[in-house]
Amino acid sequence: MTKSKAYIGFITPGFILYSLFMIVPLGFAIYYSFFNWSGMGAMDFIGLDNFRRIFFDERMGRIFRNALGNNFRYMAIAVCIFIPIQIAMAYLIHLRIRGHNFFRLMIFLPYVISPSIIGFFALLVFDPHIGMLNTLFLTLGLPQLVNAWFGNPDIAFFVLVGVIGWNGIGVGMVIILANMKNIPDDVVEASIIDGASVWQRFWHIELPFLKPSIVNVVVLSSIFALTQFDIPFIVGGLNGGIDGKLDFLNLMFFRYTFGDAYFGETALGFGAAISVVSFSIILCIALLQKLVFNRLFDR
Amino acid sequence: MHRRRQGIGGWIATVLLTLYCLIALVLIGNMILSSVKTKQDLLFNTFGLPHQISLENFRQILVKDALFRNFLNSIILTMCSILSLVFVSSMTAYGLARYRFKGRNALEFYFLLGLMFPIQIAILPLFIIMRTLSLTNTFLGMVLLYTANMSFSLFIFNQFFKELPSALHESAIIDGAGEFAIYWRIMMPISKPVLFTVMTVSFVQIWNDFYLPLVFLTKRSLHTLTLAIYQYLANFLAYWNFVFAAATLALIPVIVVFLVFSDQIISGLAAGSIKE
Repeated sequence: MTKSKAYIGFITPGFILYSLFMIVPLGFAIYYSFFNWSGMGAMDFIGLDNFRRIFFDERMGRIFRNALGNNFRYMAIAVCIFIPIQIAMAYLIHLRIRGHNFFRLMIFLPYVISPSIIGFFALLVFDPHIGMLNTLFLTLGLPQLVNAWFGNPDIAFFVLVGVIGWNGIGVGMVIILANMKNIPDDVVEASIIDGASVWQRFWHIELPFLKPSIVNVVVLSSIFALTQFDIPFIVGGLNGGIDGKLDFLNLMFFRYTFGDAYFGETALGFGAAISVVSFSIILCIALLQKLVFNRLFDR
Repeated sequence: MHRRRQGIGGWIATVLLTLYCLIALVLIGNMILSSVKTKQDLLFNTFGLPHQISLENFRQILVKDALFRNFLNSIILTMCSILSLVFVSSMTAYGLARYRFKGRNALEFYFLLGLMFPIQIAILPLFIIMRTLSLTNTFLGMVLLYTANMSFSLFIFNQFFKELPSALHESAIIDGAGEFAIYWRIMMPISKPVLFTVMTVSFVQIWNDFYLPLVFLTKRSLHTLTLAIYQYLANFLAYWNFVFAAATLALIPVIVVFLVFSDQIISGLAAGSIKE
């Protein structure tokens, strides 16, 4: 490394851009959240009233709890179901089962598809009238399996989660897969010589090496879960789908901030309060997870 | 070290994974086939092979619906953003990685905060800042935003520059090269592998981005391809033959980039998130 003032010239442009567009807005969000403001004209200081409305107003409180509940449910599914699947997929590819290169490519592929197209695919598959799935069930003579999918409040949420999972599952998988390459060969070979079964070898020898990547995938998936927007918006619309089953915090935020055309009012102050709540939650969850994992693993 | 022999469990896994991968193949294959069907063919022969290959859908959306404009918008926006992002983030990373100064570690941490907070979180004040600067509905504004969202690429460059031997820098100084010349003429050329990683990953992310264009590009003439497809979807049933063509058009560049650079994209994304 060099001691020279030249670094100032290298860093300044990036510093200005990054601060102005990434960090300063975070601070401003907190500031705006204390005001009643439509985005134009006078700003009315109302203290914590926006937050009171989010948590305790009867109508808003219900919408908020429903949306946040969906974020948390998605997060739970991502952590408890998707991550084990990601680990399993990564492990199979790591073991070089037949066609592993093809599998790695194809499992990752949906990640590069834009959310609009994912939304389009979701419509194609799950449309109640012309969708592939219902058509398939009818062709196979299984009319009892025909379903309204996104139109059925009991399962709409899970169908959506499936779609989002299909889209993003490859990222976590490749992160874990990259970590598997760091497992020292000699340890694994020793366990094979000792006669450990595949399952024992995975559970006792290899899994412990994967802690760093699993921790990261848990944190990343949780942040992803708490900032869900694109696919629910495209598939379920701005109002959060049937009975609000596809509503998420970010959708609620968007509705009250930019949704003036639909609701006849913009409430930027209120919207700012929602985003402050959501990044506080993200911060808490991420810190909590790091803390828990550090405790668990650094015995 | 790995067993080549597959037990029954291995076969079950292979079959399950194959079925899973079929989903993507069927969806993408069906999309491409449907995009060259006539509307009649699509209506009565929805999931079959096309009876004849017709480029009418493409002609219609590109010429009549001006989707060509959206396609160009996506290309221009993505290219400019990638160039700007790569230039600014590599320069910043270089300044952070190759110089010793007070507060360097704190600054590095500051720049990586963006990995934790996606740009959407503070979109509202961002919108107000952009509006104040008259940057909404401009490509310049979008390019600046994508450049500012630099934590990931900065991290990748930073890792790379840190590992270069310092002798490289010293010998360049002895040769009389200026600081910027060292970065531009020596460091950038040898950083080609990471350069490709950052470019391809950013390509996928910016080309597909939905949220920022949705918020900041409300003028129809500025819509990107992703937004245009979303507009078509709103009238899905009336125009679904067009949606297939538009989606094919949007997906093909990304799939090509992905198939050619899959190793860079996959290893780049993995490297960007293992940072304990």
